[in-house]
Amino acid sequence: MNTNHMPSIIYQHMAKHHIQQFAPAWIKLEYDTATIKEVGGDWQHYFHKQPEIGSELHASCEILFGMLPITESFELPQVQLIQNQYTDISGIRHQNTDWVLFSDVTAHTLQMQQYQQASNELVLLKGQLKRTLNRYVGEEVLDRISKGDLQFDVAGERKLISTLFVDIRGFTPFNERHDAQVVMQTLNDYMDCMLPPILNEAGMIDKIMGDGAMAVFGVLSSDKEAVYNAFTAAKHILSSVKKLNQVRHSHDLEQLGVGIGIATGEAVLGILGSHDRRCFTAIGSHVNLASRLESTARVGEILVDAKSHQLLGEALIPTQLELKGIGKVTAYSCLHDILVYQYDI
Amino acid sequence: MIQKKICILGAAGVGKTSLTAQFVYSKFSEKYLSTMGVKIDRKQVEVGNTSVNLMIWDIHGEEKYKKITTSYLRGASGIITVIDGTRPDTVPTALEILERVEQDLGIIPNVFLINKADLTDAWCIPNDTIEELAQHHQSTPVYKTSAKTGEHVEESFLKLAEMLIQS
Repeated sequence: MNTNHMPSIIYQHMAKHHIQQFAPAWIKLEYDTATIKEVGGDWQHYFHKQPEIGSELHASCEILFGMLPITESFELPQVQLIQNQYTDISGIRHQNTDWVLFSDVTAHTLQMQQYQQASNELVLLKGQLKRTLNRYVGEEVLDRISKGDLQFDVAGERKLISTLFVDIRGFTPFNERHDAQVVMQTLNDYMDCMLPPILNEAGMIDKIMGDGAMAVFGVLSSDKEAVYNAFTAAKHILSSVKKLNQVRHSHDLEQLGVGIGIATGEAVLGILGSHDRRCFTAIGSHVNLASRLESTARVGEILVDAKSHQLLGEALIPTQLELKGIGKVTAYSCLHDILVYQYDI
Repeated sequence: MIQKKICILGAAGVGKTSLTAQFVYSKFSEKYLSTMGVKIDRKQVEVGNTSVNLMIWDIHGEEKYKKITTSYLRGASGIITVIDGTRPDTVPTALEILERVEQDLGIIPNVFLINKADLTDAWCIPNDTIEELAQHHQSTPVYKTSAKTGEHVEESFLKLAEMLIQS
């Protein structure tokens, strides 16, 4: 639109309401220099005293250091010249004349800041929640949850899964001998050995129970058989714990061991709980068996049930066990060379 | 005394304003306030026998739909690129910003700050990443900083000032 055709009363009205709110001030410079030639507009809004004709603009407006002389037009939006006062600064090169224009955009910027703040806080919160969830369920579960791929029927879904129980041995007496803060730190150090191998082998941590954990394999997709993932995770847990014990041994700290039980069978996977508080769980007779095997396992020992052994096809040592509430079973043992803590316990 | 303009850049919420406030005013606030546009602070530092007046341009954080206005960078002699040590996604953002800066200004002195070092439990930048950053343009200083405790803040800004004098 050509404003020359605008009736003067309309132009003045528009100018009053739309230009004056920006409190514009302009400075004309000697061409291709920073030397002030002319000062106009509402300069009091931006400067404590009027910039002196013939002086360098840097002297009155230090922030323009590096920006002058104007070699090409530029825009510096939302510059905070004074706390909470925002100014758009434009460098304009037009017909062998250089201008610097100051416009107060505080009102608009403060309004935008509220949206910006809310948006940034949401992004940060989303990231924080993602990282927290990631630590509990692993990246794959998290991705599937966010895509809506991981859903369980409340009534339950039947699946062949392998369940792994792992527990720290000798933790109760350790707890009694040490300060709670030391106990918490130690527990976290051992959990750091136990949980990542499970997540890395497509396992889902079902429960963390004080000094132990229960995990299920076969719920999340994997290239390998569930039992193979569970057994691999178990071996990695033992080697991680061994490394931790070597470090603790070198610092004269008490070492702890772990025992692991694995059983495979059909389980019902589902959501348990009330409307407000729900959790994923796996229910099946082999789950109890895995728990009993873990209770019986010695320090550094992985005990697997017959079904797991058959699927694994690994050469393990058979052993006859009498398990509480279950009776006589044949289990298969894999005892790892974890000499550091065998000597010290 | 010489005057140098430096720009502090990075993703939103990495702690650019907090680092500047810690360096210039030795202050820290837990409250997060999103920076709009640019805020300019000054601090005089001594590098050997030379006084350097640093003009620090604390520029709003880079976001998906709000890229940094490159005109802010005009006349800058050095860059501080900030990463959040608890948010690995801020590493690629930092590198993208740096690439754009270098397209506009060429390669100028830069220091990487991996901030929020006080949040040890939430820290998730692996040492490999830190080593890769240190190899940027063969050698770039990398500091684990905490705007909250002040850890390595002064040291990192002074390192950049030293690089500006030498460049």
